[in-house]
Formats: sequence, C-alpha cells, structure tokens
Amino acid sequence: MGRLRPLGAERWWVLAFLLPSLVGLVLGTFGSIFATIGISFTDWDLLSPAIPAGISNYAGLPDDRLFMKSLVNTLAFSGLYVPLTVVLSLAVAMGLNRNTPGISLFRTAFFLPTVSSPTAVGLLWTWIYAEDHGALNAMITALGGDPVSWLGPKVALYSIVIVNVWGAIGGGMIIFLAGLQAIPKEYYEVARLDGATAWQRLRFVTLPALAPSMFFQTVLTTINAFQAFDYIYILTRTGNGNSTMPTLVFSIYRSGFRFFRMGDAAAQAVVLTAMIFVLTAVYFHLQRRWGEPP
Amino acid sequence: MKLLTSTALALILATTSAGAQTNITYLLWGSPQEGAVWNQIAASFEAAHPEIAVTVEVADWDSYWEKLRVQMAGGTPPDVFAMDAPLYPDWQSRGVLLNLQPYLDADPALLDGVYPITLQAYKTAEGIFGLPRDFQTIVLYYNKDMFDAAGVAYPTAAWTYADLRAASKQLTLDKDGDGTTDQWGFWDGGYDMEPFWGSLVWAYGGEVVDVANGKTLIGSPEAAAGFQVLADMWLVDKSMPTEQQLAQYGWDGFLSGVAAMGVSGHWSVPEYSTVAFKWDIAPMPIGPAGRATGVNSAGFVIAKDSKNPDAAWEFVKYAFSDAGQTELAKIGLAIPIRESVATSDAYLKQATPINHALYVEALEYAHLKPVFKGYEEWSGAVGDALLLAWTGEVPLAEALAEAVAAGDDALARNN
Repeated sequence: MGRLRPLGAERWWVLAFLLPSLVGLVLGTFGSIFATIGISFTDWDLLSPAIPAGISNYAGLPDDRLFMKSLVNTLAFSGLYVPLTVVLSLAVAMGLNRNTPGISLFRTAFFLPTVSSPTAVGLLWTWIYAEDHGALNAMITALGGDPVSWLGPKVALYSIVIVNVWGAIGGGMIIFLAGLQAIPKEYYEVARLDGATAWQRLRFVTLPALAPSMFFQTVLTTINAFQAFDYIYILTRTGNGNSTMPTLVFSIYRSGFRFFRMGDAAAQAVVLTAMIFVLTAVYFHLQRRWGEPP
Repeated sequence: MKLLTSTALALILATTSAGAQTNITYLLWGSPQEGAVWNQIAASFEAAHPEIAVTVEVADWDSYWEKLRVQMAGGTPPDVFAMDAPLYPDWQSRGVLLNLQPYLDADPALLDGVYPITLQAYKTAEGIFGLPRDFQTIVLYYNKDMFDAAGVAYPTAAWTYADLRAASKQLTLDKDGDGTTDQWGFWDGGYDMEPFWGSLVWAYGGEVVDVANGKTLIGSPEAAAGFQVLADMWLVDKSMPTEQQLAQYGWDGFLSGVAAMGVSGHWSVPEYSTVAFKWDIAPMPIGPAGRATGVNSAGFVIAKDSKNPDAAWEFVKYAFSDAGQTELAKIGLAIPIRESVATSDAYLKQATPINHALYVEALEYAHLKPVFKGYEEWSGAVGDALLLAWTGEVPLAEALAEAVAAGDDALARNN
C-alpha cells in the first residue's frame, strides 16, 4: 500500500489549512499544560504575584484531606466504571452487530445518552433516585420492598457508577461496532469450517481483531473516569454547592477557584494527568503483548 | 420587565451623557429584583451627582465570585463590589481592596449611628477596607397552619432548645399514612454555622473558632452538647429531613411547605412572602448559656485598581447614608446598618406583616459570624466532616473530632 503524500506546493496548502488547529493546539493545549506545570511549583492565589514554592505543593498533597478523599472516590469510581463500561459497551455492540430490520432504532436508543446534556439527564436521574418520590423507590414499594436511599452514604457510589456507565455505553458501542464491522467475514467462515465453537470464534477471532478498539476504548474510558464530574456533582451536591462525593476534578476546582490555592490545584491536576499517563502506558504495554499472535 | 427598562434606562443615561462623566461599575450578587432596586438607588445617586454614572451588574451567588476573580485577574475589576463579611479577609489580605481609612478620616461623622457589631468585621490593623451595606440576624420561622393543624402551641420567646425539639417531634407526621414521613418539624442543612449550628453552639456555652491560635473550638463538651440536639433531632426523632430528602424539595424545606420550622435571616422574607401558608417568626430558642444568634453583614468594597476611586467612594457613601439605606430597606432582604433607618417605618412597616423589629432586637444577644482569611475553606472542611454525623455514617463525637482536625488544617493552610 503506497501512502498518499502531498507534493510540492500542495504541502504549503496543507500547512496553511492546518495552521489554525496547530496554533490552537500549541497555544491552548500545550500552553495550558506547561502553564499548569509551572504554576504547580508556585504559591499563587490569582490575585497577588506567584511565589516560587518548590515541590511543597506536591509534598503537601497527602495531608490535604479534600484531595485524598477525592482521590479515593475517583479511584473507587474508576475501578468499577472502566471495566463495566468497556465490557457492557462491547456486549451491546455485539448484540447490535446484525442486520435485522429496526436495528438502527436500537443503536440510536443506546447512543442517545451520549448526545444528551449531562445536566438535564443528571436531573432526570436525581428524580429516579429520589428517596421519597423517586421512580425507583416507587417501583420497589409497589412490589412490597423498603425504599432505598440511593444517593445516601451506603449505595451512592454504585448508583453513580450506574448512571455514568449508562451514559457511556453509547460512545463505546460506536467504537466497537466500527471495529466489529471491520472484521472480514471470511475469518468467521474459515473458523466455522475448522469447527470452531461460538466461544472459540469469540476468543480467537473477534477479540484479537478488536484489540485496537479495546485499547482505544479502555484508554478513553479511563481518561473519562478520572475526569468524571458532571453526573456525580449533580447527583451528590449538597445545599451549599458542595458534594458528598467530591472527585479529583471537583477538588481541583475548589482548591483553585474557591480557596485561592491555584498552586495546589495545579499540582493536583499534574498528579491526575500523571496517573492517566501511567495507566495509558500500562494499557499500551498490555496491548502489545496481547495483540501478538498466540 | 421593570429591570430591563431600568437597565436600558441606565444604559442610555450612561451612553448619552458619557462626555464629561465619570463611569463606575457596581457588581453585586443577588436576584434581578435586587438589581432593579439597586438601579433605582443608582438613579437617585446620579440625580444628586450628575457627573457620575453608575452601571449596576448583578450575578447569582456562585457565578459572582468567579466573575470577580476573572475580572480581578484580567485587570478590569468593578469599581465597587459587594462583599460577604466572612470572606472579606480573603480579599483584603491579598491587597486588592482600597483602604477607605483616608476617606473616613476626612468624614469621621459618617460612622455615627451605624451598629458597631456590623463595623467590627471590616476593621484591620491597616485600616478599614470595606463598609457594611446591610446585615442579617437569624430568627426562627414557623408555619402557623402546620402548628394549628397539629394543635401545637406557637413558639414563644420563652422556648428552650428542648421545647424546639419536642415541638419538632410533634409536628413530624405521615399525613397520608403510607408509612413514610411527609411533614417534618424542622429543617436545616447542618453544613454552614449560619444559620443554625453556630447559634446552637453559642447557646450551649461553646465557641466556634479561635483564629489567632489556629484552633477550631467546636469539639468542646459545651459545643458537643449543642450539636447533640441537632444529631438527636435528625437521627433519634427523625424530625428533620435528610440532605437527600431536602434535595427533592429544592433545599428549603420551609419554603416548600414540608417543614414546620426553620431558621434563617431576613433574606428569606421576600421569598417566604410568596407562599400560600401563614407563617410568623420567633426569637432563637434559649440554651443552657442563654439565647444566641449569629449576625453577618454584606458590605461594599472598592477595588484598589479602580480608576475612579473618588467617584466610587461617593457612591458607597450615598448607599451608606440615611437616604440610600432607606431605599435599600425597600428590597426587604436585609436590615439597614443605620439605627435611624432600622427603627424607621421604611424598615419596620414593610409589606410582609411580621415583627421586623425582632431581627434588630436580636443584636442584643448576637455573636458575630467569624471573619477570617480562609473562612470558605474552613467552613467547607468543617461542614464536610459534620455531614457524616447528620447522615449517621459516623458517631457525632467522631465527626466532631474530624471536623476539628480538618478545620485546624484549613486554618494552618491559610495562616
């Protein structure tokens, strides 16, 4: 396969058209990243000049109760959210990877949460989970059960994981559907001729062929998990705008914009990024090992 | 519509006569209705000072602080802006506020007749960097219809916290008999010391915080005895809705008509005036150490980088004067900081027929809501820890110990 390469004057046009995005990337994204790293080594309150602080912002993180609580919450959330989202969206994609009439209706239904406003959908879920007048408890009491405090301290984590997974299945499903439809049908025909069972076809044809999609989807889901905020905040906020389940992103916002501690907030953001980076590297390593033919 | 017209009017005024005029902006948090009243005050001010034009900008509480930070960091702060007294040191200590001391020294009679406790919050070693605009004391609100229906006697000035708890229990009902409570006796968020638990701690002889020594004091036996009342109402009597239950009713259980009593400041009066049920107010109950309530003020400050500090000061001075305070009393949200206005018909004879003097009389037993650098962080740290006691996740003693430790951490970080 020969790769298409721009020739001569075309190169300049390519560059010219890419320039706006490149400027945005360099100034916006890279600029912010370097600024954040720089700020994390200072004490800065937004109002007075920043004072160099060395690594004290990082050294102080273990003693920061809000940060540690948010870290624990985010890790617990991610530990449930990432595997559930990947497995369920793969399952849904496999279920919907067929050409029966009306299939696009189902695909749309699963994809709908992805394109809906998290605020609106979050409010809908607060009603579903509401303790006294909630849809879920109404069903439970109608069946003779006791109402559950869905967003109370005992089950809030699970309730929140359910909402987030529900919201993420659509996006993952699209990735896996694309991956599934790219697998040549001949592979399955050959496998059948060789007498492979359904399980063997899944294990030795589908899953290895999906490895790149899985890798991509797991990385994306992990990033989303560590950055999760909107549904969680809407479902667990308290009367004064705080949250009973603060996440890392919420802690960064509060430290920086509410408590005048931009340096600490930047250090938290760098730690968050580093964690995502390490996990991505681990996935990359696993993909290379797993992607090799057996 | 009224606001639109007055805003449009202010805009026209600001643009048509911009020539020799000095333009200043005044940013405050609040509702569009408050913005409309402030536009009227600004118009009266402009009538007396044709050389100055005031642009009033209103934002809701949450976006207000972000807007302010962004404008500050961008080098275009509003000339005059509203300040919540507990947060004042956060801004004052960072050198972004104008020292008003020289202006006050030139006009020493200005502070005469102002309730001293409201000024206390703004005094620093370097001078006064802000003036109170209006203030709040906390009283007990009760739903007369619910008391009548349950045959419970209305709260009186002789009420103790034991009476409050007993009445709250009597007023907690399952009206439709479906096995779940649908009316509670009392509601509070249990998070910030204002409106409720600060008063409770003081009434039981405790103290809240010793900022000079970096100590959170709510772990004392006296304070713990006060908190115990709240914990018992929540967990033993179940006469207060939980955080999750309150969320279903838009947080204010009194306003939504599911709680028979609540504590709040004068700021609730305009909103409560829209409800269908009859209600009234009573002083805070008495504790073992007497009666106590909290007092807090909203103030004005001028940005240090204001390009027109003199014009800004003229506006602050006007709003701080008898005339300005009389107009401000019309909003009905707060108590005027001048005794002459707070005891005048402008404040006492408001549309809502309750005893408005009660809020002013509360000053006799009021404690100043603490004012120190890092208040918001401290309040968040303490509130987060306490919340675990109100949900029953951890015993009260444990929650208080954690609240003290977390509060002291926050104090140390803002030292």
